[in-house]
Amino acid sequence: MNIFYSALVYTVWFLSTYFVVFFLLALFTFRNKLFEEKKFSGKTWPFVSILVPAYNEQGKIHKTINSLKKVVYKRVEFIIINDGSKDGTSKEVRKHIKGDSRFIFIDRKKNMGKAASLNEGIKKGKGAYFGCMDADSIIEPTIIEKCLPYFEDDIGAVTVNVEVVQPRGILHKVMELEFILGLSLFLKIYSFFDSVFVTPGPFSIFSKKVLDEIGGFDANCIVEDMEISFRIRKAGYRIVHCMDAKVQTILPRGFRKLYVQRRRWYSGALETVFQHKHMLFNRKYGVFSFLIPFNYILMVLGLGLFIATQFLGLSRLFRNLYNFRYTNFNFLERLLEWEFDVLGYSSSMILGLIMFSFTVLIMILGLRYARKTFNARKTASIGYPFIFFLYQIFWIGSLYAVIRRKKVSWR
Amino acid sequence: MVVIKKKGRSTKKSTVVTIFVVALVITIFLLMTILLLGALLNKNRESYIDSNVQKLYNDLNEMQTFSLLAEVYGDQMACVAFSSKLMDMDESIWNLGRKIDQYRSVSEEFKKNPYYLEQKKIFNENELFYMVLLKQLKVRCNYTQAIVLFFYQNSQDCKKCDDQSFVLTDINKDIDEELAIFSFDADLNLTSLRVLREFYQITELPCTIVNDVKMCGMQDKDAILKEICKDQPDIDVCKQFEDKPAN
Repeated sequence: MNIFYSALVYTVWFLSTYFVVFFLLALFTFRNKLFEEKKFSGKTWPFVSILVPAYNEQGKIHKTINSLKKVVYKRVEFIIINDGSKDGTSKEVRKHIKGDSRFIFIDRKKNMGKAASLNEGIKKGKGAYFGCMDADSIIEPTIIEKCLPYFEDDIGAVTVNVEVVQPRGILHKVMELEFILGLSLFLKIYSFFDSVFVTPGPFSIFSKKVLDEIGGFDANCIVEDMEISFRIRKAGYRIVHCMDAKVQTILPRGFRKLYVQRRRWYSGALETVFQHKHMLFNRKYGVFSFLIPFNYILMVLGLGLFIATQFLGLSRLFRNLYNFRYTNFNFLERLLEWEFDVLGYSSSMILGLIMFSFTVLIMILGLRYARKTFNARKTASIGYPFIFFLYQIFWIGSLYAVIRRKKVSWR
Repeated sequence: MVVIKKKGRSTKKSTVVTIFVVALVITIFLLMTILLLGALLNKNRESYIDSNVQKLYNDLNEMQTFSLLAEVYGDQMACVAFSSKLMDMDESIWNLGRKIDQYRSVSEEFKKNPYYLEQKKIFNENELFYMVLLKQLKVRCNYTQAIVLFFYQNSQDCKKCDDQSFVLTDINKDIDEELAIFSFDADLNLTSLRVLREFYQITELPCTIVNDVKMCGMQDKDAILKEICKDQPDIDVCKQFEDKPAN
């Protein structure tokens, strides 16, 4: 076996196992704090503004508005910003907010982007806290009451669990599982280490004081929800995650749309990390400054390993299949005679098997601690360990876009 | 200057450090366990090869005894004993050669293991010895068994060698007792093998010698089987060629 390949296998295994063990230890240590209920300590409940930038959301925005209408928090305003939509979003919004004085509608003719829309909403809003949400997301009625008690002097933002609206098909079901683990449990664990690296777009709530201090969202960034988390941290504030509150989001339909979305996320993430590179390995920013580069180094090495393994493994597989042309294609005959020889497996293969087992373990424990049932997600559970392959495709596309400095589209 | 506000830190520094350190200790422990397991597997592989090479060596000694017995007491007695020995030797010799190559490739992750090179040399020498004895006894005992010699080298230098090995493995599975395949690694540079290569005038690899007929370059299953079937038409797999008119 090639020495470089072996070295790569061991390095990726060590780093990823370290991360998994770290995660499991943290999960075990903080298991009783995952769903801790916070009580609001202020004298009066503050005024809250919820911002909803929308671009071509004609078919979905009524669901978002309906969920806003059900919000039980009294001191609230909802600011919907139509970001120059080319479809009937404006008409749809006007139709659904009619008669509800809590709604403010900003109808912009020119498309300026999500971050610019949010910034405009921040200027317009009166809240001490600003909830920012996507126009294809649905919040639960008590989300504000659940989030506000988390705010302390040094808290810049509070994130909530992101769930998937009616996942259909294996791809969406696997993504649902990914959201439960990645955009809920992982964020909660990261928040114990002051290392939350994203304020998910479907819904996150920010302190106005902090937004003013850092200058709002970066209008030039395609992943404004990630970029702002870096600047919040840089300004000395923390982001915490509330496991008790949830927002539901609609996933893109079909692989291509999902690919486009993920390419934007990942290439935007890479650009954000590069933009704030001075924060990496900088002790001033605590664990955040180590966890973030650790994840990206692991990602790059993992991608290298994935490509090398596909190249070596697939070329070997094709070579073997190709050789069957010399033996009159007696593939089935030989397959039935296949013998298992444990001595024929290298240590690298054992490492791979252990990594696979860890993925399954994280999935099972993650679901348990996120208070989700395993039985309802059997199909997704089978697909989840293989999500790694999907990630690599997304990452390859994203890296290509970043290297070629290709403009990444929103949809 | 930016100052991270420590008042509201989520988790105590000592807890954070403990989690990171314990995770590191557990990861190192897991890695050590896997390395130990890998060493254990290596040891088992070497034991397997040791015992099988030793068995081959013992079998060869026994066959040499048969050969001497035949010279002293006549062919009839030795040939009966020899026949029973052949049955379990012929298939295992090819498989052992392949196992040495396979175990070598999975064991040598970071450095070359001289053990496998040494065993391969011993194995090739024994194979050669066995092949010569088999040829002698084939004449003496009137055996119809096919003898195939396969000359190869590492897959980097000879891409088709692995493919030819794949075909011969397939043939070895189809024809059990009536066939003895001997594989010779040209990279080992054994003097005895050089002599054999010169005898057959092999200039190109892979090269397969079927009952002394040289077939160099990549040969498919049918081509080799046809050559085997010329001398051994009674083998089951040869029936497929019976009705076809000869070219």
